[in-house]
Formats: sequence, structure tokens, C-alpha cells
Amino acid sequence: MSVRLMIKTMLRRKVVTVLLLVQLALTLALILNSMVLAKQTHERLQEPTGLDLANTLLVQIKPTTPALRQYPALGELLERQLGAIRQLPGVVAAAYTNQSPLLQGGNNGSLYKVGDEERNNVSTVPQYYASADIFQVLGVELKNGQLPQILQSFDSDSSPPVVLTESVAEKLFESDNPIGQATNQGTIAAVVSDFYGQRSADMVMYNTIRIAPLYGVDWGYSLLLRVDPQQVVSVRSQLDNLLRQVDSNIEIFHIRTLQEQHQRLYNTEYGLSVLLALLSALMLLVTMISGYSNAHFHVLKSQKEIGIKRALGANKVTILLELLAEGWLCTVLGGLLGVVAAVLLNQALALVISIPVLNGWLVMLTLLLLLLCVTLATWYPARIATRISPATATKTL
Amino acid sequence: MIELAGLSKIFRTELVETHALRDISISVNEGEFVALTGPSGSGKSTLLNVLGTLESFEQGDYLLDGKSVKGLSDRELSTLRNEKIGFIFQGFNLIKDYSLFDNIELPLRYRGFKPAERKRRVEHALETVGLAARRDYHPSQLSGGQQQRVAIARAIAGSPRVLLADEPTGNLDSLMARQVMELLDQINRDGCTILMVTHDPDQARRASRQIQIIDGQLSDAVLYDPLAVA
Amino acid sequence: MEQLQYYFKISLISIKRAPLPYLLTVLILSLGLGMFFANATFYYRLNSDPLPQKSDKLFFPMMLLVPGDCDSGCEPPPVLSYSNVQKLGSSGIPTAQAAMYSSDSYVRLDSKQQPLPVRLRLTQRDFFQLFDVPVLAGSIWPDNSARYEVVIGKQLAEKLYGTADVVGKSLLVDDRHFTISAVINPWQMLPRLYDANNGSHISETEQLFMPLETAYDLNYMSATMSRTMDNTDYRQLATQGRTGALHQLQFWVQLDTPAQQKAYKDFMLQLAQSEQAAGRHPVHINNQLPALRDIVRYFGRESGDVKAYALVTLLFLVVCVFNASHLSLNRYISNQYEFSLRRALGASRWQLQQQLLVDVVVLTCITLVFALLIGAASIQLMNYLWPFNRLFASWDLSLLSALLLLSLCCSYLVTLYPSLRASFGALNQQLKE
Repeated sequence: MSVRLMIKTMLRRKVVTVLLLVQLALTLALILNSMVLAKQTHERLQEPTGLDLANTLLVQIKPTTPALRQYPALGELLERQLGAIRQLPGVVAAAYTNQSPLLQGGNNGSLYKVGDEERNNVSTVPQYYASADIFQVLGVELKNGQLPQILQSFDSDSSPPVVLTESVAEKLFESDNPIGQATNQGTIAAVVSDFYGQRSADMVMYNTIRIAPLYGVDWGYSLLLRVDPQQVVSVRSQLDNLLRQVDSNIEIFHIRTLQEQHQRLYNTEYGLSVLLALLSALMLLVTMISGYSNAHFHVLKSQKEIGIKRALGANKVTILLELLAEGWLCTVLGGLLGVVAAVLLNQALALVISIPVLNGWLVMLTLLLLLLCVTLATWYPARIATRISPATATKTL
Repeated sequence: MIELAGLSKIFRTELVETHALRDISISVNEGEFVALTGPSGSGKSTLLNVLGTLESFEQGDYLLDGKSVKGLSDRELSTLRNEKIGFIFQGFNLIKDYSLFDNIELPLRYRGFKPAERKRRVEHALETVGLAARRDYHPSQLSGGQQQRVAIARAIAGSPRVLLADEPTGNLDSLMARQVMELLDQINRDGCTILMVTHDPDQARRASRQIQIIDGQLSDAVLYDPLAVA
Repeated sequence: MEQLQYYFKISLISIKRAPLPYLLTVLILSLGLGMFFANATFYYRLNSDPLPQKSDKLFFPMMLLVPGDCDSGCEPPPVLSYSNVQKLGSSGIPTAQAAMYSSDSYVRLDSKQQPLPVRLRLTQRDFFQLFDVPVLAGSIWPDNSARYEVVIGKQLAEKLYGTADVVGKSLLVDDRHFTISAVINPWQMLPRLYDANNGSHISETEQLFMPLETAYDLNYMSATMSRTMDNTDYRQLATQGRTGALHQLQFWVQLDTPAQQKAYKDFMLQLAQSEQAAGRHPVHINNQLPALRDIVRYFGRESGDVKAYALVTLLFLVVCVFNASHLSLNRYISNQYEFSLRRALGASRWQLQQQLLVDVVVLTCITLVFALLIGAASIQLMNYLWPFNRLFASWDLSLLSALLLLSLCCSYLVTLYPSLRASFGALNQQLKE
């Protein structure tokens, strides 16, 4: 088989070939970018969060009456709710917090060493006000210092001590020992292992925690539960009822595992990945239809030529391979164009969404996929072609 | 070279069964130039197709170069056609968007010759038919006679043992027809066995032997020795 | 008429002759159109102008009135403090002006009822004039002072009271008594551009409106975006919140004429200079006055995903059109003999073109039906994947006519070249084939 002769055959059908090449190119471009995006979304969802996602439950809640939103009534409500939850079989630990981890944005503020505001200021660090069990619930490890055990009010003389996650402690104090150092949020009492705080923050692993009463519940608050892996489903199903029994003057916004909460963070990316995957699949289908119809029509039109080739000694396999090879050549040419198109599309997409650049092996993989699909689509018409009798050559069509 | 023994070919449709060839036995020796004659629809083209292994047959046997073609696979038949048989068709059957070179080279490619060998053979064949200067022309740029010479070049490029020609001059005027016939004579003289279907008694007489087919059967005047008439 | 019927008949016969290629053409074309149209719906709606008559007259003033030096970028904050709104509102230049923010509340008719969560807009008198909010009954607050009066949406009124005739009735908002001073007609500003600074412009309009002063007195915090730039305690909104650097307000001014706009810009500049002189402003002056129509882009709140998908569905449509023309070309070439025969029998090119136009109409109709079905299904899927955009999923007449036009164009494109190939080829050659 000569590539030159195949190109000649393709040139004979200029319009059709160009149509096919453009399609193949655009299909490759789309599939490639979809794959890159899907891969990115998948990788983001696989990134470590420092949390036991499957076995931690989150209840987002808000008292519906102003009276219940004020201390001391609020404090009593929290005690009653946590007390009831701890009674549930399977609950290992429970705590309240002003906000859950794994959020898009939320309550956050800048953090700096006292007297060093200008030089060493970390902005948008999530701030948690939580009950003492929060560390056990989150399953974070103590890295340095001592975890505060007592609830300390903001309105008392000294503000509550601060617990930092490891990465923000390193950022702020580098190799110095942070314990006992004063920050704008309070004195550092402990450093714990990293966990995923807020996606829109400077770094997702930066967090500060204080064991303190809720500062205000205008935005509601979270109850976090660490649950025995066997009992997640059962605990989850009882929570709504239980909390309403404790006090009916509440609105429960949602009850989720942190796994679900994590997935929600990437909802838009996930949605776009699904839509692009669907579109890619449709594009492949359309291209396969096109490849099929192109090959079928080509075979019908060139029965005589195929007959001549058969008479001159081409066997069935040669004919089959010739037709498949035409498809492959087209795919490879379209693929080369497609790589250009893919880069352009990638650049255009990068203007509006975050998408990684294309990489070589993914290009190869996509090209192989396309080759496979084109082969499948050409197979049947090519099989028909092999059935053309060599005697066709002697007939006047 | 060619041995047909009791060969029959039947075309079947749902309703009708047509005996295209009945009990044909022919023997053609190496180097012969045989003319197949007979009226339209008598089965001479079918016989040529069977001889060229383009069509199969139901009964009898066909030995080409001492070997039976019966029961050969598609691959073996294709190889046989490619290596031992050359075809010349009434309608030339060149591939119209291939150059002359590409057309002649096609069977050599199927045979798996190396590019240099292909080039040598194509150029030699083109020289033989007197079209060496036009190797990059396309068939549409040539006259009918020239096209048929290209077809002959394609047929002989692979040095076949047998050349099968189906009305090779049927689409040509008399001058061109004569040139083609002279070419075939020359090829025959060089040692190639030729079987040619023709209507034209003059052309038939140029052959060393005539075989006449009527209604799919060899007629009585099967063995015709031109020398006897002369 | 009879001739037209004949053309339709011929068109149908040629479809019946090779139904599979035709069906594939229709399928591919409607897939392309349907997927494109579904996303175009969101794109068009998200980018539509809800107030075309005044979207270039409403402005969102922002200044760098913050304590301390500005940190990186020195961009004015996208939310304003109470005191900055007081300053910006003192010009007397705008035709109308209102500060606003939103919060969450629970309402009920009496303390025995279950509270109903309701999103509140806390704003000033001119809000209703600024955004052309239709008042059904009652009257809007006469001034911006604090009062225990709310404006309620008709749907919420009907939900709570079973009637829209509720002016003067009492309502418990977070267990405090309010009187309903006005009812507004169902009103949906899509997108709700006045809330674009925090990206909430794709959610529904509020059903309950409370005077901003009252909201500050009652310590309603913003439910969307608030920033404290000094030591202001956000639990002391009524006192510290009115003086400190607690930023949570949006402020809109209506400046009808270029003269007004220039006057307001000058006013902002003077204000910045006097604040600078008083030492309450960082050295760098950065005043911004984006118009309502540019506000989404200004705050970078455009939906990148919808844009990205728009690009991709457009490509998909292009591929589908290419593909369908490809299929259609094969179909027409198969029919080439018939075309040539018709021409040989005396059909003029114009007559063949008429036949072609009928083919286009038939293809458009069939494609349109399938495209609508696919589009609707695709919108369902997008609503499922991107629930936050679901308000923007509906079709109106202009969208549907655009689809019709697009289908017609695509069908024409798909039919045009192939039929030209078929009808203008060399006559004798085709007949011989």
C-alpha cells in the first residue's frame, strides 16, 4: 500500500475528505480537552484532604427564633444537641463549629504575628470557633504544643488560644517554635496536622481553630460527628429526627458526609466534565457515522476499481487493509490537524476556566481511541468491499 | 500450460438455472496464441473469467501450469492471478486517477516487489508498448489505443505465463486495433501464452489456434488449423 | 399549490428511498442543534439585560475608603461600609439612590406557627424605583428612616395569608412585629444584577424587603459577603457597624444624563481628596463607577463553565453540520441520475432549486422537532449538574425563533452544496453513468 496513492484517492474526493478531516480534527480536539479536564477534576477529588471523609458527618443547622440564637440559650441548645448525639450508638465524637471544613468560602481573616503585620501577613485564613472535641472529630494529629481543653469566651479578659494547622504555622513561623507566640488572633497553643479548609482561601490547608463559643449564628452553625464506619448510614438516618426532638425551633439545611461535601466543592468542574464527556461521546458517534457512511459510499462508488485490483491479484485481506488504511491515514492526518485544533481550543478554554495544558501521552491515547473508532466504523463497508467479485472488472458498469 | 477437463459452470438465480459452460475440455500448450470465438452470450467471456480464476466453476477440473486451481483459497487464487496471469480487458480498466506508472505498478505492489524492481519492470513494460515517455500521464490524457497499450504493459509487467485478453480491440478503430494486435503477436513471440476472446475473424486468424464456443459448449470446429486453410 | 404538493411528494419519496441516511442526517443535525441550543439558552439568559432601558444609567460607586494602607492591588472593596455609603449618598446628584444587602430571616404570622425561612433584602426607599419593581398595593416607605414596616412579594403574601390583600397586616419577622406597607407583583429580575458583586445574581429575587436602618438596628448581618477591616464587632451593627469599617453594603445610584455622571465622578474625586486630607484614605485614589450592564463582567462573575461549554457546543454544531452535509452529499450524489434525468426532461435549474427549497423546509421541520427534544433533555441534564443555573433554563419566543432560524440555516447549508453538486454537474456524463 502506498501512502501516495491513498492520498491520491483521497484527493479525488476533495470535499468529502476535507469534511472528514475537519471532523476528525475537531473530534480529537474536543476529546483531548475533555480528557484533560476530567483528569484534572478527578485528581482534585483525589487530593488528600487530611480528613476522614467517609466517616465524618456534617449537619448544617440554624435556630429559627432570635432567642435561641443568643447565649446562654444557644449554649444550652448546643449542649443538648451534642449530648443527644453522643448517645447515638456509633458516634465516636461530636463537636459544634461555626463552619465546616471543605467549603468554597466562609468565615476567614488575616493572620499575622503581633508587630509583624506588614511583613508576614497571611490573608483569608479560615477561622473555626468550636467545642473541644473538634480535634478528635476531624481526626487531626497534634504536631506541637497542647490542645486547649476549655471553652474560653471572647468577651473574657484574655482571648482564647489559637491552634494552627501545620502549613500555616510553617508559613508564619518558618523554623521557629510557634508555641506561645502572639498573633492578631491570639496566642498559639498548638499545631495540628493539615486539613482542607476553604477552596477560595490562599492555601486550602491553612486553618486556625479556637475552642470558643460561637461568635454569632447569623449564618447558622455546623455539628460535626465522627462515626464508626459500620454505622454511618444508621446514624445519619436518625440525626434529623433526633435534633428536632431536642428542639424543634431549628432549620436543618443539610446532613452530609464530608465526602459529599468534598464532591460539592467541585460541582461545577464535575458538571462540565460530565457534559464534555457526553459531548465527546456524541462527537465520536457522529464521526463514526461519518466514517461509516464515507467508507460505504466510497465502496459503492469504486466497485469496479476494487474488481480490477482483485483481478490483478489483490486478495481479500489486501482489499480490506487498503480500505482500513485509508481510514487510518485520514485519522492520522485529521489527528495532526486535531492536535493543532486541540491546542487552540485548550487556549480558548483556558481564558474562561482553569484547564491544564495538553500532554503527549494523552494525545497518543486519544489518537488510538479515534483510530479504533474509525476502524470499527470502516470495518463493515470494508468487509462488503472484500465480497466484490474480481469478475466485476470484466463487466461494464 | 492450461488443461480443462469436463469443466461446467452454472449460473443460478431463484428461478432459473443457466448452464454457462458445459463439459469443456481444452488443452493449451505453452507459447500458443489461442483465439476464443463465438457469438454474443455463447459463454466465451465466462470461460475467460474461469481461466483467469475470476469466477469459480462447479464441475470438472482446471490445471494451470500443471496444478489444479480447484479448492484454492482466495489468497492462493489471488497470488496465482497476480503471478501467472495477465489480463487485458475490452474497456482497458485502468484506474483513472492513477498515472500510467502507478497503474502498471499496481500488480507488482501486490506481488511484494521492492521499489527498484517495480520501477525496472514498469519502465521495461512501458518501453515494450512504446509509451516510456508518458509514464506520468493519466489515462484520460491518452487515446483508446494508447490506453489499451498501457493495459497490456500492466498485464505483462509481472512476466505472466498466460495473457488473457477479452476483446482487446473491441473499443478501438482499425488502425489502433492493428497496433494492439501487433503488440500481442510480439508478446506471444517472446514466449507468453495468449488466450484472446474476439469477434473479429481476421484477428482470430492471426492466432495459432481457434476455439469456438456456442451455447457454452465447444463447437465441432474446435480445432482449426490456420495452416490447413492456407 | 398543486406544484408545491408535488414537490413535497417528491421530497418524501426520496426520503423513503433511503430512509437510513436521511435519518442519520436528521439525527446528527438535531444533535448538534439540540446540544448547542440547550447551552445557548443558559448563555443567552445569563447574559441578558433585565433592564435594557436603564442598565446604562444605574451605577455602582466604589472608593478606596478603608483604614490603613491598601494591601496588594489597591482595588476598592466590592462591598461598602455604612459610613462610606453615608458619604457617597450625600451628593444630591443622582435621580435615585439606594444602599442594600441581603440576609436570612424566619417569618410567621404568630408565635404558634412554624417559622418559614425567607431571604430578606434590606434596603432603602429608592430600591423599588431603581429596579422598576412593580407595586401591586400599598405604598413604599416615604423615606429611609428606620420603621417596622416591610414590603412583601405577592407570592409570599399568598403563601402566608392565602391572599395578596395584606397591606396593613402584621407579620412576625424573627419574632418581631412588622406591618406590611406594600405588596409587589411577581417580579423576577434575571439576572439579578444588583447582587452581582458577590455572585448571587443568578438566584431568585427576594420576597421580603425591610428598611436598612431597621436592619442595622436589629443587627441583621449580610448573608452573602461582609468584611471587617478594623476591630468592629459585627454583633454591634447598630452602633459600631454604623461607624466602623464593616463592609457589607451595595450602593446603587441612578445617573440619567452624561452631565449627572460627570458630576458624580467629580463628586467622588473631591470626596477622595477631602478624605485624603483628613488622613482617612490611602495615598492612592481609585474610584470606580461601573454601570449595571457591565457589572457582572466588572466583578468577574461570568460563568466560565457556561462560556467554555458554549464554545464546545458551537464546535460540536459545526462538526454536525459538516457531517450532515457529508451524509447529505452522498445521498444527493446517489440521486444524481434522477436529477440529470429531470433536467434532460426539461426541468429548469430554478425548478430544481424549488425542489431543493422544499427539501430544506422538510428537513428543517423534522430537525426542529428532534432538536427541541434533544435540547429539552440536555437542559434537564444541565439543571441536574448545575442546579444553580436552573432559573435560566426557560425558553421564550425570541429564543425559539432563533432556533428555528438556525435550523433553517443549517438545513440549507446541509442541502445547498450537495444539491448544487447534483444539479449542476455535466448532464451527459451523469446520464451515461
